[in-house]
Amino acid sequence: MELDVLTAGSAARPVVVAVAARVSRLLLLLTAVAVGSFVLMVNSPVDPVAAYVGADVASLGSAQRALIAERWGLDDPAHERFLSWFGNLLGGDFGFSLTFNRPVLEVIGDKFLTSLALMALAWLLSGLVGFALGLVAGTRRGRFADRAITWFSYTLASAPTFWVGLLLLYVFAVSWNWAPVCCAVPIGVPADEVGLGDRLAHLALPAITLSVVGIAPVVLHTRQAVVEALASDHVAFARAQGERGLGLVLHRVVRNAAAPALLLQFGSIGELFGGSVLAEQVFSYPGLGAATTAAALGQDVPLLLGIALFTTVLVFTGNLVGDRVHAALDPRSRLVDVRRKR
Amino acid sequence: MRRSARFRAAAVAVAGIALASCSTEAHRASGGRPVELRLAIGGESEEGYDPTLGWGRYGSPLFHSTLLARDADLNIVNDLATRYEVSPDRLVWTVDVRADAKFSDGRPVTARDVAYTFTAASKSGGATDVTVLREAVAVDEDTVELRLTKPQSTFVNRLVSLGIVPEHAHGPDYARKPVGSGPFVFEQWDEGQQLIVRRNDAYYGAKPAFERVVFVFTGEDASLAAARSGQVDLAALPSSLATGEIPGMRLTRVESVDNRGIAFPFQPDEGRRTDEGRPIGNDVTSDLAVRRAVNVALDRRALVDGVLNGFGRPATGPVDGLPWHEPATAVPDDDPEGAKRVLEAAGWVDADGDGVRERGGRRAEFPLLYPAGDSVRQGLALAVADMLKPIGVAVTAQGESWEVIRTRMHADPVLFGWGSHDATEMHNLYSSAQAGVELWNPALYRSPVVDAELDAAMAAADPGQAAAHWKAAQRQFGPGADAAWAWLVNLDHTYYADACLDLGKLQVEPHGHGWPITRGIAGWSWTC
Repeated sequence: MELDVLTAGSAARPVVVAVAARVSRLLLLLTAVAVGSFVLMVNSPVDPVAAYVGADVASLGSAQRALIAERWGLDDPAHERFLSWFGNLLGGDFGFSLTFNRPVLEVIGDKFLTSLALMALAWLLSGLVGFALGLVAGTRRGRFADRAITWFSYTLASAPTFWVGLLLLYVFAVSWNWAPVCCAVPIGVPADEVGLGDRLAHLALPAITLSVVGIAPVVLHTRQAVVEALASDHVAFARAQGERGLGLVLHRVVRNAAAPALLLQFGSIGELFGGSVLAEQVFSYPGLGAATTAAALGQDVPLLLGIALFTTVLVFTGNLVGDRVHAALDPRSRLVDVRRKR
Repeated sequence: MRRSARFRAAAVAVAGIALASCSTEAHRASGGRPVELRLAIGGESEEGYDPTLGWGRYGSPLFHSTLLARDADLNIVNDLATRYEVSPDRLVWTVDVRADAKFSDGRPVTARDVAYTFTAASKSGGATDVTVLREAVAVDEDTVELRLTKPQSTFVNRLVSLGIVPEHAHGPDYARKPVGSGPFVFEQWDEGQQLIVRRNDAYYGAKPAFERVVFVFTGEDASLAAARSGQVDLAALPSSLATGEIPGMRLTRVESVDNRGIAFPFQPDEGRRTDEGRPIGNDVTSDLAVRRAVNVALDRRALVDGVLNGFGRPATGPVDGLPWHEPATAVPDDDPEGAKRVLEAAGWVDADGDGVRERGGRRAEFPLLYPAGDSVRQGLALAVADMLKPIGVAVTAQGESWEVIRTRMHADPVLFGWGSHDATEMHNLYSSAQAGVELWNPALYRSPVVDAELDAAMAAADPGQAAAHWKAAQRQFGPGADAAWAWLVNLDHTYYADACLDLGKLQVEPHGHGWPITRGIAGWSWTC
């Protein structure tokens, strides 16, 4: 009884401290990202007014340029613009996107919902396919299946996302006419007539393209973990007791192999976002990636900063969850953590 | 066993995709004339469809009607206006508005709506320049007075491009729910994907032949894919992708004033710098003989054939093919012998026999800057260097970022691209008042004669009078006189159009690609 109270007390304090440490680390990170992104954007060679106006820039007089600059607040010194933006941010106001003529939060919310379907599907695909292939390769080490899967993974790892996208687009949409060439909804169909099947059909190619980013590392790490697990004492012991084949892999190996795969999967959310910028561009898929491109080309500073902060939180959360899940699956990593802290 | 199950799952998924995409084929397979048109020509206005922020300044504003319009020959014709006149002091434009026009919500278009639109646009800080407007007043039910702060003949372009919005419905959501009096009515906009518009049956003008038009906002690769798979009827593609046949479609080339030319630094190098510390002047290109020799020596036809794969035409000036273009400024080119004579007469001789002429210890050489990453401009710069070598002028093509080009453009020649239906651009490129402002008149060209003509053109009472002054200015800055720039080529814009789609007569298009082709969209028809 006494012991329980003691352990409960000593456990609770570190949890609070750990959460506080994480939160303050996130806040520091966000501030650094905001300052860094802002400095980069202010020093970018893109002239925001020219980017906004487009091709007809030479027919605009200087008075109109001044009006635009005033509407955009470009006249104020950079540090004042940053501080006023930051002040508004603390009050919960993310500013106004000039590219989309809407509040930044609305734009991010809208676009992220579209991207979420794409990224989640791609994430699941790459995780499941990668893990399955890794298991097969690991258990068939040195055999044909292993060599084929490893070769496939290296090919994927070195293939640029947009190139894979173009290839899929060409084969499935243009040559065979099986898949739509673009967009998240069918061309020319009123919004209320768009069904779930339509949406899935439009999601398939971009999601497959995007999942390619994540498959290779999961395959290779899973394969390594499987190989290690198969060589370990506990598997040798199970074998000695007569366990064989699928049962052995499912009961003795999968859990060990899943830990690094999950850690990688959660850690790859940043890359997933980077890949979505390209995949969405190729398939004209109107998500956060496409919005990022539009904002960057148009020097839409408030929107870019908003997206930078949003993705920071996303990646940070992904890594955090990955750590926790990894620790839960593989208690040894927790021991390492504890040892390091002391 | 396990493997076959996986294969079956894949086959089911593929079949599902195939079924779902069948619906996209419906508009073609049904036979007969399609009632719906699908275009992949880019041009999405991400900030929405509010003319007072600049929507509609290229091509057709679709949902909105404009006071005036330009026909296929770029002549000004009436649209919503029945008449317009400019006061003798050129400060007041009086426009009569037709009485039978209605907004798509059923309310009539009044002179007050016109006045409101111009006032809103002049204050909006958007992409359309109405800053010269002092005030817009509806003097009666169907007459508007647009009062300017100074005479400006190019103000007519605002009457051509500014779509009229209803005062009663122009609120914060307007850009996403536009209401207008144009040939089409806004139906649905899936941001980043497509815009669906419906024919406006209450439109006062000739009604479009298609009930619905869908604009698909795809990138270049997806546009090509959409054209190849028969999912769109018209696709705008860069000429580099316009190779090869697409069954059922024909390649349409549209002439443009989307030009490329070399700006020669006009001032001699006297060690001066701008306020930002940028160097000014070039002792080679400030010599008239060099600028003329370059203009004469270049083979522009070869540039079009070699660099543009034939998708273009030689350029004689910045406004080729527009009503204010002066064709007489063209000089015979591809004449290296003539160029050599010009250089020799000016004292540029190759005394040391290294293939490059010199004069007074100064070698006839200069770099030619172009934005790195622009493959067309790179090709042009390299070809120009090759063509000038035989006449003893050494050119080094240098790809740089715009940031670097901005700092060097007053001292080194730069390959620029311009082209607009608004003659204000010519004023901005050659007027000494715009020297060193933004990217305009980067060469710091100064000519009192040209300044006087440009100012007279801007202050002229009507487009015809203005054109006379625009032409006079070209005769002075053109290759036969000051040879301030060496204009090289005008690009052709390339489209794949369904073989059955008749686009009518097309305008010479401005710089930029895609949307300008929609100018005559209300008159497009299906021919088979």
